[in-house]
Amino acid sequence: MADTSETRIDPRWAWEAYRPNDKAPWDLKRAGHLYRRAAFGATPTELQAALKKGPQKAIDDLLAGGPGQDAFDKQTEQLAESIVRVNNGQQLRDWWLYRMLYTPHPLREKFTLFWHNHFATSNATVQNAGFMYRQYRLLRKYVLGSFAEMLKEMSLDPAMMVWLNVKDSKKGNPNENYARELMELFSLGIGNYTEHDIREAARAFTGWTLQGNDVVYTESQHDLGEKSVLKQKGKWKPDDIVRICLEEDSAPYFLTKKLFRFLVSETMTPSRELLEPLATSFRKSGYDFGDLVRTVLRSNLFFSDQVYRTRIKAPVDFALGIVRGLEGRIGSTPLAGVLEQLGQSVLYPPSVKGWDGGEAWLNGQTLLFRQNLALALTSTEDIRFGHRCDPAALARKYGKKDDKELVDFFLDLFLQGDVAEESRSRLLLFQEKSHKMKVPVYWTAQDAADNRVRTLCHLVLTQPEFQLD
Amino acid sequence: MSQTRRDFLKSTGLVALGLNAPLFVSRTAALAAPAHKPGARDTILVVVELNGGNDGLNTVIPFKNPLYAKYRPTLQQSTSQIKKLTDEIGLHPQLTDFADLHQEGHLCVVQGVGYPNPDQSHFRSMDIWQSASKVDNPTEGWIGKALRQIPGAPSFHLKNSGERAPLALDGAPARVPSIASLQDFQLQVAGGTDAKAQREVIEGSAKPGGTRKPGLLDFVQRTASNTYASSRRLQEIGKNYQPKATYPQTQLANKLKLAAQLIDGNFGARIFYVSLGGFDTHAQQAGAHANLMQQLSGAVAAFFKDLSARGHKDRLLVMTFSEFGRRAKENGSKGTDHGSAAPMFLIGGKVKPGLVGAHPSLEKIPMGNLEHHTDFRQVYAAVLDQWLGVSSKDVLGGAFKPVGVFRS
Repeated sequence: MADTSETRIDPRWAWEAYRPNDKAPWDLKRAGHLYRRAAFGATPTELQAALKKGPQKAIDDLLAGGPGQDAFDKQTEQLAESIVRVNNGQQLRDWWLYRMLYTPHPLREKFTLFWHNHFATSNATVQNAGFMYRQYRLLRKYVLGSFAEMLKEMSLDPAMMVWLNVKDSKKGNPNENYARELMELFSLGIGNYTEHDIREAARAFTGWTLQGNDVVYTESQHDLGEKSVLKQKGKWKPDDIVRICLEEDSAPYFLTKKLFRFLVSETMTPSRELLEPLATSFRKSGYDFGDLVRTVLRSNLFFSDQVYRTRIKAPVDFALGIVRGLEGRIGSTPLAGVLEQLGQSVLYPPSVKGWDGGEAWLNGQTLLFRQNLALALTSTEDIRFGHRCDPAALARKYGKKDDKELVDFFLDLFLQGDVAEESRSRLLLFQEKSHKMKVPVYWTAQDAADNRVRTLCHLVLTQPEFQLD
Repeated sequence: MSQTRRDFLKSTGLVALGLNAPLFVSRTAALAAPAHKPGARDTILVVVELNGGNDGLNTVIPFKNPLYAKYRPTLQQSTSQIKKLTDEIGLHPQLTDFADLHQEGHLCVVQGVGYPNPDQSHFRSMDIWQSASKVDNPTEGWIGKALRQIPGAPSFHLKNSGERAPLALDGAPARVPSIASLQDFQLQVAGGTDAKAQREVIEGSAKPGGTRKPGLLDFVQRTASNTYASSRRLQEIGKNYQPKATYPQTQLANKLKLAAQLIDGNFGARIFYVSLGGFDTHAQQAGAHANLMQQLSGAVAAFFKDLSARGHKDRLLVMTFSEFGRRAKENGSKGTDHGSAAPMFLIGGKVKPGLVGAHPSLEKIPMGNLEHHTDFRQVYAAVLDQWLGVSSKDVLGGAFKPVGVFRS
């Protein structure tokens, strides 16, 4: 996909706080955009409430999360501990998906997922649910906090130590895996370090191993000698290497660019000038990631037409957008199974680079899987999801009955009414014609009406625009 | 186009599909190469990506060289177990089926393949191999570019669930479909008498309107249109297929079996891309690597046997590659770190059997890495020019001297 040129964007304007105006009014479209990017989509009630609140309050509320967080955390933590006791990584994956689905604080889970993609550690290799849970908690602890602290702790996190072989790295025989990815994928990006830097840095990570669940340092296995990393010489330890990396000019740009792609746009390649204000204050703040996220979320550029629908929904966003929109209460285990087919099995990323995202999410196979998942979630006949996610029940709750009302209700909920006029006409025509459809003799009038609502909802979800984030 | 081919297309109803046919079907026949050119016989290329960096030194082994044992104190393979190709070079003990293919004259091993100034990042080096270029952030792959010269050639990425389409296929005139299985490649709608009407709504929304701008929405619509059409077509294929060889129970074998099914569908499928992961063996390499060697050779050999039995032997070429080899000396974790030069395998009815090029030197190892003497683009050039009948110069952006890997 060709990059969108953004040469005309004024960096000062871009990151100034958005104020609704005639050209960029606070409307359903922008409220939907905010809930897609900063959470996992919205319910009809949430969308309407956001419209009334205005952008500032809507963002504040998303950042703060809703009521009942402590109780939710407590309940799910107990569940996690029992999963960890039997070392079931797949259940832990399902457990996290459950949290994403039903948490009162979706923004926090969404950004925890951002970090999981950044430090992409897979339990396929780690094979230890306890370690994965510990890493998840580490990500969540610093989710909108200090990136510098997170990176330090990550370097001696047990799951990471297994994943990138720090636990096997000994003096005289360093394993380069972690040192390489620390620079290439976690802090600097390719081209901003040399092979020499990697080999030297690897020596600093020698001597740490795992004994049971504990990280153990053995001085005799640690290379105490002087290392020269990124032009800094000293008897460096792991924390020093992290510090040295974050002192590089490329580090804040690397991270802000990654956030830009996640939160703002996949199709626009931001120039250094555009990122400069963000990178500068990110570094000045000591890598306070929360600050950075708040600035971007409140910005003009975030709410501009240039970045609207310029991402492909990740599978998690696609599926959760449907379930949350329909106020469904499905089990997360069958959903996790489908998400794996769609290419996103959380806690099992494909490589240390994480998921490529963007157009890579969509190909012939995954597109069909997505459309078929939309059907499974809306039909109430699928044995995995059953009646617990029902468009007909939702339409009743919000008092929608006429064909027109129904078409607009689902188009507004999932696409904020923003589709080509011909698409709307096609749906309306289908809905009018469907009255004549033959139904089984034992169906009541209500059964037939409900069935029509479910089919309509599925067709709305198969619109190409629904693939966009 | 030959008369028989036209008749075949007519008889299978492909011509009748007209505009609704996916791009690959509607264009295939028209662009078949003239009879005297390479590619005229609808040659097939199957690329097998070994993801993670395959340890070349323990794949094609210079067992007589004392440095081999010295560099690999725990990972060396015993001389008695190694499958000897010559007095000095042999295959990993688990490459039994490859050794048999070699006996039969169907295995070619190109040694010491790489590129100048090798990069040791998985992702960067994989990009270089897949795009056959060293530009930053490449967006087009070498096969995608080749497909521009044979735009209708049906091509498939056969994937594990969850695997993304490779960069190698990007840049093709129509997005190459990724398929996990034929059963999964179907669009479902709610049951009922209006199923057809539902499909029309879904497919209607995928047709780009006249005023649409290029961008993500256009991308989604193009992908969707092509997919819905392909899906309808593929449901008819491979229903009567019975394998003529025993495939092992592995993911790779399943994917190659699907490729055999699609080839057997007789609609001119020519290019397939599959990958096998797990080669990033930084620690405890021995068991994992042996297992991978076995998976690779078992699956490819069964595939070759199956297609040979169906009369496709001389149309078939399987080529393996990995983003890099591994360091000559093993590390302290009974594994190996990222390296550079490594061998490539070519399997097929027309390959020149045996070794091509010398084993990389074990004496001279700059930065601890084996040095390449053959650029991978020379292998690509042979495959493009002499096998697919595509100008390698246009694809590779320069002239690379093809390596002699085919029987003349």
